[in-house]
Amino acid sequence: MATNIYKYSKSREYFERAAKVVPSGVYGHLGPAEGCMIPVTSFPLFAASAKGSHFTDVDGNDFIDYMCAYGPNVLGYGDEDVDAAVLEQAKIANCTTSPSIKLIELAELMVDTVASADWAFFAKNGGDTTTAAIMAARAHTSKKKIIFVKGFYHGVAPWTQKIDYPGVTPEDVSGNLYVDWNDFDALEKLIAENEGEVAAFISTPYMHGNFIDNQLPADGYWQKVRKLCTEKGIVLIVDDVRCGFRLDLAGSDHYYGFEADLICFCKALANGWSVSALCGKEFIKSSVSALSYTGSYWLSSAPFAAAIVCINKLKKLNAPALFREKGIKLTDGFTAAGKEHGFDLVVSGEPALFYLRIANDDSLFIHQDWVQECVKRGMFITNHHNHFICASHSDEDINRSIEIAEDAFKAVKKKHPGI
Amino acid sequence: MTDTKTLAYINMYAILGTLENLCELVPEASDLLKGKKPVSIGFDVKGGPSATLFFKNGKCRMEQGVDNCDIKLPFSSPAKFNGLIDGTVTPIPSKGFTHIKFLLNEFTKLTDILTKYMKPEPEALSDREFFVRSTSLMLSAITVAVAQIANNDSIGKFTASHIVDGDIALLIKDGPGTTLRVKDHRLLGIKAPPENPRAIMEFKSIELARDLFDGNVNAVASIGDGSIRMSGMISMIDNLNRLLDRVALYLA
Repeated sequence: MATNIYKYSKSREYFERAAKVVPSGVYGHLGPAEGCMIPVTSFPLFAASAKGSHFTDVDGNDFIDYMCAYGPNVLGYGDEDVDAAVLEQAKIANCTTSPSIKLIELAELMVDTVASADWAFFAKNGGDTTTAAIMAARAHTSKKKIIFVKGFYHGVAPWTQKIDYPGVTPEDVSGNLYVDWNDFDALEKLIAENEGEVAAFISTPYMHGNFIDNQLPADGYWQKVRKLCTEKGIVLIVDDVRCGFRLDLAGSDHYYGFEADLICFCKALANGWSVSALCGKEFIKSSVSALSYTGSYWLSSAPFAAAIVCINKLKKLNAPALFREKGIKLTDGFTAAGKEHGFDLVVSGEPALFYLRIANDDSLFIHQDWVQECVKRGMFITNHHNHFICASHSDEDINRSIEIAEDAFKAVKKKHPGI
Repeated sequence: MTDTKTLAYINMYAILGTLENLCELVPEASDLLKGKKPVSIGFDVKGGPSATLFFKNGKCRMEQGVDNCDIKLPFSSPAKFNGLIDGTVTPIPSKGFTHIKFLLNEFTKLTDILTKYMKPEPEALSDREFFVRSTSLMLSAITVAVAQIANNDSIGKFTASHIVDGDIALLIKDGPGTTLRVKDHRLLGIKAPPENPRAIMEFKSIELARDLFDGNVNAVASIGDGSIRMSGMISMIDNLNRLLDRVALYLA
């Protein structure tokens, strides 16, 4: 298939317009700075439409999308069943003075689906639930300190940020302790050094930090962590916002063979409709009840209706197995294409959320070049973040993506003939 | 949220250290030294930095320590040394009284010229040559200040603890460039671009660099509109930006 190299003149026009009235033009992870669009001229900045595994930008360029809106697109953009449920519920009631019984239906579904869940508490973003989890852990234990894994991301509330971030004070993060991923001995030592002061250990199910190869848990790591937290009365929080329902519909703690006390979900819950969930064990339910923590739209019922349909559809598809299969097929194709042209493409993390890095240099210059060549040819990937598989990624998408990857490898090789 | 000792390191290496570049870039400064007998001034700060400025043949060079200085200026604390820089403390030499004339005349004039370039009057910047020199000096000073903050300030050290080894290039397109060399989470500011950077932050023009240094534009917005180009290990750039935020606090 012939490769068209995309141009983004309308994206740039809209960006200039946006920059006048929106901080940074597009802020946050969808923006060019945090989104590591290198160079920014190779990336689309605004979408015009989206369907299935593709989106089209304002210049009319079509992309096979492996970022999936950074996770929420789990079934495919514009899933007809999910969207029909939303429209139907919106006609009945959405944001109301008394909540809809969709709240109960979704909570029951979460409890039936998630292995470690005895209850469910809903909000909007993943960060709402990680904050709820931390507050609940502190309320339950009457302790202050929280242990984080270095390289963590648990949202954007001040407690989740670092002391050197703009707008964060030392007091915001004064209770934060840090430990390396997979280092159980260091965790044990840190807990001993802070005996009686640690409220919670919060971690993603595996290390899917940015800019580094993603790391799976070592054999027995989570089981040892679970035992230690139980012994020390430390609340074990799993931030499953990113991985949740992509590895295992019963939760990623279930996938790795342990049970969290609290587990946070968001991205894959409702196929793009805004709802997040904190689930947990019975023993900490009353502490969550006691929190003064709510939001204007948290109990809106249209997103609940979306989540119910989405979760049931994921179950019907046996989606985690599907994601794994598609992820392996895609990344095997990328790796083989890279090898043929002299590129050492390292694939890490779980196949459903694969992370890519070209290891021919230690600076990511070559990797960034390859990524932008892929994007300009119609495959949206990033150079810094893990990717996401959705149920709509077809064999045709995967085959075309491998062709694009290969063409991009050729283009990069021309610029770096020494490879 | 700044620390007196860190400020002393910045004042020593980023401010006084920029006299090296001043004498290279500004004839008015180097002319003051031409035909003069070589002389050196040591600044010895108790509980803080210690370095010597050597003046010879119209040039200036800074070295660590005060063992080989002609004039020695002792300071009983970082705060006293900072007072020298902000003009509230008059130093009393403990050595080199025969060179006191240099200290009172040429050195004072040099620091006045440095101030003129580092804290310029707005109208002075309309002169292109002055603008380029001033901005180049600021780039050098900021680069060195970043390293001092990373090595001394408690929050800066936290930031440095997240930076991997390698050279970060801080470049102005078609203009000067500097290096921040990272090794074992300690930073060294080098007033020349690196040969093999691991990360690059490049400003599209010297005007943009100036606007950033003056706080008139934001780095994140400039990355978005393409006027700052970043590449390589972006985590290094990300952390560099956090250190640059702290430079603004110290040099405000």
